Amino acid sequence: MKVFSNTETFNYSWEEVSTANWRKYCPWNDKSTHVVAVDTISRDVDPATGILRTERLITCRQNAPEILKRMLGGHEETQVLETSYVDPANKTVTMVSANLTYSNLINVQETVIYKPLNAHQTQFTQDAKITALCGGWQRIKNSIEDTLVKRFRENAVKGKEGFEAVLEMSRRVFAEEREREKMMMILDQAPNIRLAHAL
Amino acid sequence: MSQSLAKQCNEVKERYDTCFLKWYSEKYLRGAASAESNECTTLFKEYSACLQGALKERGIDKLLDDAREDNKENDATFLGRKKCQMRIPGH
Repeated sequence: MKVFSNTETFNYSWEEVSTANWRKYCPWNDKSTHVVAVDTISRDVDPATGILRTERLITCRQNAPEILKRMLGGHEETQVLETSYVDPANKTVTMVSANLTYSNLINVQETVIYKPLNAHQTQFTQDAKITALCGGWQRIKNSIEDTLVKRFRENAVKGKEGFEAVLEMSRRVFAEEREREKMMMILDQAPNIRLAHAL
Repeated sequence: MSQSLAKQCNEVKERYDTCFLKWYSEKYLRGAASAESNECTTLFKEYSACLQGALKERGIDKLLDDAREDNKENDATFLGRKKCQMRIPGH
C-alpha cells in the first residue's frame, strides 16, 4: 500500500467552500477536464444527526496509466463513487471516494476533509490509500502503486487551481444574486410606496 | 453545472442541481431544513428514474452495490453510529 497526503488552505469561509464543492467540476473549472460527468445517486439528511449524506458517481475520461491498460485492457471511462457527509453542526465535510473501475486490480480509497481554520479560511486535507490487489510480483504491485501516486500528485495541483476558479466565480455569482434580490425587493415594494404617496 | 453520464438526463439534472444548491446554501447550512423532505424531492425522483436505466445499461449498478457494501464502515464512522457488533460465526 502507498499513501498520498496533501493539505491546502483556501481563503474562503467553510460555508462558501462547502457550497462550491457541489460544483467543483463545472465548466468554470477548466483544470479538471478529465471529469466528464457527475451524477448524484442518492442523498438524504440523517434524522438523528442532521448530517447530509450524498453519493455521487464521478465519471472520468483520463487515459489510465499505461501499466493498467496493458494488464486489463483500456477502459475509456473510469468511475468513482464518492460518498460525502456534511456535518453543519461541526462544520465538517468529509468525502470518501473509491474506484469502481479496475476494482479487482487496485483499491484506491481517498478521504478529503474540509474544516474551517477561522471565519475566512478553510483547510482541505486529502489522504489517498492505494493498494494493488493482484497476486504476483511485489515489483509489479509497487510499480502500479507508484504510478497512481504520481497521478494523484499531478491531479492535486490541477485540482487546487480549478477549485480556486470555481470559488471565485461562486462568490461573484452569489453577490450578483443578492444584488438582484435586493433590486427585486425594491421593485416589489415600489407600488406600495407609490400607493402610500398617493393616499 | 456538470454533465450527466447519460445525455438524456442532462436537462432534469440541471434543474435538480440548481434546486439543491439553493436549498443547501439558503436552508440547510442555515439550519432551516427539514430532514424528511424538501422542495427538490420531486425533481430528484425524476432525475433518478432517468439515470437508473443508464446505470443498468452500463453495468454500473452492480459496481455501485459492491462499493456501497465496502463503504458501510465509513457510514458507521461518519454518521456517528459506530457500535460494537458481535458476530458469532455460523449464526
